[in-house]
Amino acid sequence: MTTTLHPRPEADAAPDGPAHSLPELLVRHARSRPKAAAMRRKRYGVWEEYTFAEYLEQSARAGLALAELGVRPGDTVAVHSENRPEWVWADLGIQGIGAITVGIYPTSPAAEVEYILGHSESRVLIAEDEEQLDKALEVRDRLPNLEWIVVIDPRGVKVLDDPRIITWDQFLQAAADRDVSEWEAGLADITPDRCALIVYTSGTTGPPKGAMISHANTLAAAEIFQAAFHAGPDDEVLSYLPLCHIAERLGTVINGLWNGYVVNFGEGVETFASDLREVQPTIFLGVPRIWEKMLATVEIRMNDASRLKRANYRFWTRIGRRLAQQRMQGTLGLGGRMLAALGWVMLFRSLREKLGLARVHTAISGAAPIAPQVLEFFWALGVPVREGYGQTENTAVCTYTPVDDVKIGMVGKALPGVDVRIAEDGEILTRSAGVFMGYLKNEAATEDTIDPDGWLHTGDVGELDDDGFLKITDRKKDIIITSGGKNISPSEIENLLKVSPYVREAVVVGEKRKYLTALVGIELDTVGDWATRRNLAFTTYEDLSRKPEVRELVSEVVAGVNEQLARVEQIKDFRLIPKELDHEEGELTATQKVKRRAINEEFAALIDDMYGG
Amino acid sequence: MTALLEVREVTLRFGGVAALNDVSFDTNHDELFAIIGPNGAGKTSIFNCLNGVYDPQVGSIRLDGEELIGKKPTAIARLGVARTFQNLGLFMNLDVIDNLMLGRHMRMRTGFAAGAVWLGRAKREEVVHRRKVEEIIDLLELEAFRRQPVGMLPYGIQKRIELGRALAMEPRLLLLDEPVAGMNLEETEDMVRYILEARDELRLSMVLVEHDMNVVMDIADRILALDFGEVLAVGTPDEVRSDQRVIEAYLGTSAT
Repeated sequence: MTTTLHPRPEADAAPDGPAHSLPELLVRHARSRPKAAAMRRKRYGVWEEYTFAEYLEQSARAGLALAELGVRPGDTVAVHSENRPEWVWADLGIQGIGAITVGIYPTSPAAEVEYILGHSESRVLIAEDEEQLDKALEVRDRLPNLEWIVVIDPRGVKVLDDPRIITWDQFLQAAADRDVSEWEAGLADITPDRCALIVYTSGTTGPPKGAMISHANTLAAAEIFQAAFHAGPDDEVLSYLPLCHIAERLGTVINGLWNGYVVNFGEGVETFASDLREVQPTIFLGVPRIWEKMLATVEIRMNDASRLKRANYRFWTRIGRRLAQQRMQGTLGLGGRMLAALGWVMLFRSLREKLGLARVHTAISGAAPIAPQVLEFFWALGVPVREGYGQTENTAVCTYTPVDDVKIGMVGKALPGVDVRIAEDGEILTRSAGVFMGYLKNEAATEDTIDPDGWLHTGDVGELDDDGFLKITDRKKDIIITSGGKNISPSEIENLLKVSPYVREAVVVGEKRKYLTALVGIELDTVGDWATRRNLAFTTYEDLSRKPEVRELVSEVVAGVNEQLARVEQIKDFRLIPKELDHEEGELTATQKVKRRAINEEFAALIDDMYGG
Repeated sequence: MTALLEVREVTLRFGGVAALNDVSFDTNHDELFAIIGPNGAGKTSIFNCLNGVYDPQVGSIRLDGEELIGKKPTAIARLGVARTFQNLGLFMNLDVIDNLMLGRHMRMRTGFAAGAVWLGRAKREEVVHRRKVEEIIDLLELEAFRRQPVGMLPYGIQKRIELGRALAMEPRLLLLDEPVAGMNLEETEDMVRYILEARDELRLSMVLVEHDMNVVMDIADRILALDFGEVLAVGTPDEVRSDQRVIEAYLGTSAT
C-alpha cells in the first residue's frame, strides 16, 4: 500500500496553476465564464438564476462587509440557516478574508446553538430568519464573543431597532463603497494549511466536537471526487442535505466550485420531492433515509395503481434486477442493452422522471449504511446508486464504489490518493490529504483520532477483501456483545428491518443480554395508508403504534427478517416506539441518526419488559 | 385614531325576530377585533351585514366613512372587504393555485375577449397576479400543495387555503368566520400563527368570529360579546372576561 499524500490539486486540473482555496476557484470561474449559470433558486414559484459573476460579487460583498464589522483572519463566523444562496455566499466571503465558517444545523435547538457559538467563539452569527434569531436571542447573554447578528430574511422580526442586529441588506451595505477587487486581492494571503471551516459533528454521545478542515483539505477532496464522479460544468445538483454537514458542503460548495456546475436550491424540506422532479439533477447524493423513502413512495403508489400497471411494474423491475447484476459486473451485452432500452420505454423513464432521477448519471449513497435490497431496487431502475464511505474527519474522502465493479453490501475501494488499512482490533484506519487538522480546543480527542503517522482512526470496524473492497461492520462502540459472548453488528440487522416500507427506525438491543430484541418505530405515512385501507381508524402516531393490528404487521416484518439471519442474530421480541423520534428532543442527531444511548434510556421500561422485567 | 369600521345602531329583523338589535361598535386600523357569543347570538348575521348579504333595516355601517348598507356584496368586496367562510368557499376540484387566482379575479382588469386571445396585456396581467399568489403561498407555506386539487388535502390545509383566497383579494378589512373550527390543537396553533403573520406583514385589519375562547383571548386586541342579538360588552380580553353579563351568558348562571 502506498503512502503518498496529495499536498494539493495538480497543476493540470486548474489552468492558472494550483489554486490555494475555494474562493480562488470562484474567482477563476467568474473570470473564465462569468455569464454561466452557477446557482438557481426557486422563489415565489419561479427558478431564479445566478451567474458566476454574481456568485463572486455577492461572496466578495459578504466578505468585505464582515471585515467592516471587524472580522479578522482566524476569527469564526457562524451560519445558521437552511440551504440557500446566501449560505454559500457567506461561506465563500468568510473563507476569502481568512476567517472560518461554522455551520449550525437548522434543526438545532437553542442549547446546541449556544454550545456551538460559545465553543467556536463566533463573533458574527448569520441567522436565516425569525425562528433562528429567536434561538440566538434566548442564549445571547451567555455569549460574550458574539458581537453581531445578521438576519437574512427579516420578515416577522421585531427587534430590528437593536443596533447589533442587522438585516442581510444592511449588512451588505456596510461594504457598499468598497470594491470587489479588494476581496480578490486578499485571497493571496490565504495559507492553504490554515483552517477554512469547522464542522461540528453531531456525535451520538457527548457534546458536538468541532472538526477543523483546512483550505488544502477542501481542495484535495474536490480533486479526488472530480475523478470519481466524472463531474463537469454541465452537471446539475440539488442542494438539500444540511450544508453544515460535510457531504452537502462537498456537493454544493467544494465540488461545485471545482467543476463549476449548477447548484439548485429548492423551496425546502416539504417540497423536496417536487424540487427534485423539477431539477432532475445529474449527480445526486442521498442518505439511506432518502433512498428508503423513495422506495416506500413507489410501493405505495403501486398499491393504488391499476392491475395492468402493477403487472407491468413487477415484470420490468424483475427484468431490471437481472440486468442490474450484469451492469454491476460490467458484462451488460447488446441483448441486455436492447432489453434495457425497451424497459426504459415501458417503465423506467416514467418512474425515474417522477422520482426526479431521470438524468442521474452519478448517484451516491453515503453517511450511513444502507440495506442491499434498497440499492438493488434503484439499480433495477437503471439508477446505479453507488455506496461511498467517508466522514467529516477525512473531508468525506475514503472509499467509493467503482462504476462497473460493484459489490453490494460493500462501500467500494479506496479513492485515488487514499490509504486504507485495518488495525489489529478491526478498526478502519485511513490516511489521505483529506484528513482534517484536528478538533477545535480538544487536543485529547485529536490525539485519539490522528496517530503520529497521520492515520485517521475512524471509529468504524470493518474488513478489507482481497480486491481492496471495504466492508463496514459497524461503529466500534455500537457492536453488541451478548451475554453469550457473541459479537453482533446491530446496524446490519436494523437495516434489514428498515427495508420494509412500514419501518422507519429500528434499534437493536442486546448488550450483555441473553438474546437480541428491537425497538421499532413505524413509518407514519405508509402504516397510516395501510390502516386507512383496512378502515382502521387512528388519531395520532402514538395511537397508531398501539394498535394490535399494527403490531401484527410489524411482527410479520420481523419474522421475515429473522429468516435471513443466523440464530444468534435473530430478534426474539420487539416493542413499538410510541412516538416519532426527533432531533430537538435529543433522540436523533442533526443528521437523523438514532442516538442509541438516549433511546435506551428513554425507553428503558419497554426494553426491560422484553427481558421479563 | 380614526375608526376603520363604524357600526351604528344596527338592527336586523327576519319577520318579527330581531337577529341583531341596536348593535354598535368601532374597529380601528390594524386591529384584530373579535366577536364572541353563544350559538344564535348573531355573530354570522353581523358578518352578513358587513359584506352586504343582508341589509339591516335600521342603522349604518361605514368603512372609512363610506356607507356599506345598501351596497351589493360585489361592490363591498371591491371596497376591500374580504371574508372566509366557516364551511369553506373553495372549489374542491381546482388546485391550490387556481383557487387563489380566483381570489385575484376581482382585481383583474382585462376583459373576457382579451383573456381569451391571451396577448399583451392579459398575459402581463396574469404574470403580476400569479406573483401575488406566490407571495401568499410563501406567507402561508403552501409550496408543497400548489398543483394538488384542494379536495384531496387535509382539512387544516383547506382552511389555510381559504385564508389565502381571502388574502389574495388584498383586502383592507378581512372577516374571518371561525377559522379554527373543527381543528385539532396543532392545526389550531398553526392557523393562529398564520393569521398573526398575515396581519403583521400585510398590516391588515381583521374581524374574527370564533368559538374557541382560548384563541380569541390570545390574539384579539378587543372583543365584542353578543347574546340574542344584543351587545353585552366591548373591550379588551381582560375586560370582557371579567364582565358580569358575559360570565352569565356563558356559564348560564347568575353570579349574584
